[in-house]
Amino acid sequence: MLGTHQIRTLIGAADPIDPAAPPPRLSAVDLIARAEATEPAAPIRRAPRRLVLVAGAAAVVAAGAVTVLHPFTASTGHGPGVLGPPGGGLVLVPIAYQIDQDPPAAGEHLRAMAAHLADAPSDKHTGRYAYHHVKTWGDPLMSDDGGRYVLGFASEEERWQLADGSGRSRVTTLPPEFPDVQSRDHWLRQIPSWPSAVPHEQTLPPYESSPPLPTDRAGLAALLSVRYGGGAVAKQVTTVYQEYVVPTRTRALILDILADVPGFRWRGQVTDRAGRPGVAITYEDPAHGQQSLLVFDARTGVLLAHEIVTVKPRRVSTYLLLLATDRTDN
Amino acid sequence: MNERGEDWFTTIYHTHYGQIVNYGRRRRLDGDGAAELAQEVFIVAWRRRTDVPAHSLPWLYGVARRLLANSRRAAPLPVPVPDLGHLVDPPSVDAEADVGLVEVRAALAGLSEPDQEILRLVGWEELTVSEAAVVLGCTRATAAVRLHRARRRLVAALARTRS
Repeated sequence: MLGTHQIRTLIGAADPIDPAAPPPRLSAVDLIARAEATEPAAPIRRAPRRLVLVAGAAAVVAAGAVTVLHPFTASTGHGPGVLGPPGGGLVLVPIAYQIDQDPPAAGEHLRAMAAHLADAPSDKHTGRYAYHHVKTWGDPLMSDDGGRYVLGFASEEERWQLADGSGRSRVTTLPPEFPDVQSRDHWLRQIPSWPSAVPHEQTLPPYESSPPLPTDRAGLAALLSVRYGGGAVAKQVTTVYQEYVVPTRTRALILDILADVPGFRWRGQVTDRAGRPGVAITYEDPAHGQQSLLVFDARTGVLLAHEIVTVKPRRVSTYLLLLATDRTDN
Repeated sequence: MNERGEDWFTTIYHTHYGQIVNYGRRRRLDGDGAAELAQEVFIVAWRRRTDVPAHSLPWLYGVARRLLANSRRAAPLPVPVPDLGHLVDPPSVDAEADVGLVEVRAALAGLSEPDQEILRLVGWEELTVSEAAVVLGCTRATAAVRLHRARRRLVAALARTRS
């Protein structure tokens, strides 16, 4: 078990409220009328959490931590980005597309890929553990109290998990990266020295349930949230690749399902943020002012990266790199 | 009947309204604030009714969490920092046993907001890890890791309050 029962036992009695809640003040019909009579609320974005970062407090934390943390040793390159002055931070630049203007629909390209996939290294290996190595940035994003200057800490996670979810992980929080030069310059003035990184290792308890990856199209389409559209699908594809070692046949099926989701556009060849060549598709979400990007290995169909880019201004909002997936006994 | 029509909405509204109000009350909203939050959540649910999953409660909590975060954006929040969990003292094996409410509340209040949130979702909203992942907008694996760390830090904090 994950310890949920113990947590409820431990803090349940400290629940500060009487769970008996008052009845609704409006009827469901009245609330519907209000929803339809008023302007739509600001979209509930999938966009990353943005939290207010108080520079002074962050500096204290940084200064305190730097005395105990070990030198940072990044295991991955930075890919698209602009390095600042010596000791400065990385400013993220959106990935350049081979097809930047008027991209065609992605369906035909995805089906062609799906029909000719080669095995990935993970297809040739066996082992009790599913191994995932992932780098993420942008969840959360943090800003000054005016909301103008933004930063996010990247982190790398390596996970070794048995089929029930138990295993171990190693998480390394990396120095901050910035979505624009102004944010980088602001934060470097405020906090010239950031703590170095050190891996944090821990044992993972089993999941409460651990359903296998569906092998049929209908089950996989449901898991990928196809009914909710391209943005949700992009996120779910990424989730699946983070949690499973996806075999060749299922990778082909995922591409085939993506081919039928309206709105995905083909962007051709790209280089992801880890410097790997791939092919990209994007999904425009004008309601949320953002674009989802998926990068695949053209030969194996393995997902390499997922990014969300805000459209105006065009800035990287989050990125996730699937650096390695394999099976191992170690 | 429209699958996502008034009947559907009325059902989820009456089923989950109280839980959303309590979500707000547990996060320091007064009665009026919690009621307003719940109304906003269900207004969003109606407008986005085609997006609401069949098991709607975690999705509704997720909306509540984001609305609350937006409303508090202008106010200082606990500073999110690189994970410093490795600086925490090892937990005592006995720390979970026989601790008072005051100690638990004090230890919980001393944790980072992300740690508090996942512990509240599991401990008070009684969500599973998979449901908490929906609320937090992360993967189940990430939620499991966050919960595991948060629990360790809570236990460590309790051990310190008792020593």
